[in-house]
Amino acid sequence: MFSPYKFKIENLNAWFGSKHVLKNISMKIKEKAVTAVIGPSGCGKTTFIRCLNRMHEIVPGAKVSGKVFFNGIDIYNEDVDPVQIRRKMGMVFQKPNPFPMMSIYDNVAAGLKLNGIGDKEKLNSVVERSLKLAILWDEVKDDLNKSGASLSGGQQQRLCIARALAVEPEVMLMDEPCSALDPIATAKIETLIRMLAEDYTVVIVTHNMQQAARVSDFTAFLYFGELIEFGPTKEIFENPKSELTEKYITGEFG
Amino acid sequence: MVRLIDTGLEQLASMVFRMGELAHKTVSLSLNGYIEGTNAYEEVQTLSEMLIAMADEAENKAFELIARFQPVASDLRILKSYMKITYDFARYGRYALDVSQIYTRLGGLKECEDWINQSIREMSEKVLSMVRTSVDSLKSHDTNLAIALSETEKQVDSMYFEYLDRLVDKAPATNRCTISSVLVVRYLERIADHATYIGESIIYLSTGEKVILR
Repeated sequence: MFSPYKFKIENLNAWFGSKHVLKNISMKIKEKAVTAVIGPSGCGKTTFIRCLNRMHEIVPGAKVSGKVFFNGIDIYNEDVDPVQIRRKMGMVFQKPNPFPMMSIYDNVAAGLKLNGIGDKEKLNSVVERSLKLAILWDEVKDDLNKSGASLSGGQQQRLCIARALAVEPEVMLMDEPCSALDPIATAKIETLIRMLAEDYTVVIVTHNMQQAARVSDFTAFLYFGELIEFGPTKEIFENPKSELTEKYITGEFG
Repeated sequence: MVRLIDTGLEQLASMVFRMGELAHKTVSLSLNGYIEGTNAYEEVQTLSEMLIAMADEAENKAFELIARFQPVASDLRILKSYMKITYDFARYGRYALDVSQIYTRLGGLKECEDWINQSIREMSEKVLSMVRTSVDSLKSHDTNLAIALSETEKQVDSMYFEYLDRLVDKAPATNRCTISSVLVVRYLERIADHATYIGESIIYLSTGEKVILR
C-alpha cells in the first residue's frame, strides 16, 4: 500500500562509546517533502541523519538501537545490506567535497562508473541530466573537462549534489549544505532544495533557522539528543507548542 | 539574555501603548462632545491625524524589525498583532472624528427625545468601556479581558438593532435627530467591532490561537 512516509523512525537511540547522543527518537518523515532538523551544536542533528543511511555505525565505538523503516523495511534488520541502503540516499556535506583530481564530468559520472556502467552515451545523458537537476549545467556545459576543484564553493556544492543525483537516489540527506557558502550561493542551493523535493525526499540539517523556515515543509527540533518538537514548519515557526522550541528559535538560548 | 530584537520590541510596544491611550482619549472626547453638546471637532481632528501618523510610524518600526531580525514564534506574532492593533486604533480615531463631524453638521442630542438621549448615552458608555478594556488588555496581554470584549460587543450589537427598530416604530420629532443619531450609533457599533478585533489580536499574540470574538 502507498505510504506518504519515506521513513518511520521508532525509538531510535545512538551512542558514541558511552555517550548517549540520540534518545528515543520517534517520528515519520514524509515522502517528497523537505524535513529540516534544527537544534544547538551537539544536539545530535548530524548523528540523526547519519542514522538514516547507516553511516553512524561506521564510526568506531558507535552504536544504534531502535528501528528506522525506509520504504517500510527496517534498515537495521540484520538481513539488510547497508551499502544498498546508502545507494538510495545521496548525501551532501557541510564542506563541498568534489573529487579534486577529477574533471566536472568524471565527478558526476564516478558513481555510475563504480557501478560498472561504461556506456558513453548513457554516461553523457546522466551527467547532463544530473547537472541540469542541480542547476549547474548552464554554467559548466562548456567546461566539463575542467577540474571540479576549479569551481566556486557554491558550484562545487551543486556539483556534489549532481554527483549524488547521478546514481538516482530516493532521498537526499544534507548536512548543513550552505554553511560554507555566501548568500547568493546559498539562495541557489535553497532554490535547488525546493525543486528536488518535487521528486525526492530531502532531510536537511541546518544551523540557520531562517533557512529551515525558508526551505522546509516540516521541522524537527532536537535538544540534548531528544526530539523536543516536530511538526509543519509554519506551526513550529509561528506558534511552537514547546517553550524550549520557542526559546531556541527566538534566540533566547542556543 | 537581552536579545538585539528586544530593544526594538520594547520601543514598538511603548509606541502602541501610547497610541492606545491617545485613541481612548480621542473617542472619549468625541462622544462626550456629542452627548453633552460641546464642539470637540478640532481637537478630535488633531488627535485622529496623530493616530494615523503613529500607525504609520509603528508599521515602519515593525517592518524594520522584520527586515533586521527575521522574527519567529511569539516575536513574529507580536509584530503581526501590533500592526493590526495600530490600524484598529487609527480606526477608533477615524470614527471619533466622524461622530464629531456629525455633531458640527447636524447637531447633537439636544433636539432629540429623552429615550434617544438615554439610548445613545448607554451605548456610548458601553463602547467607551470597550475601548478602555481593549487598551488595558493590550498593555497586560490579558486574554481574559480580551475574551470579555466579545460579550460586551454582543450587547452593543443588540442595543444598535433595538435602537434602529425603535426609530422605525417611534419616529423622532426632527429629521436632523434621526439622521445624526443613526449615523452615530452606526459609528459606535463599528468602534465596538474594532475593540473585538483588538481582543482577537491579543489572544493571537499571547497564545497563537486564531479566534473570532464577534
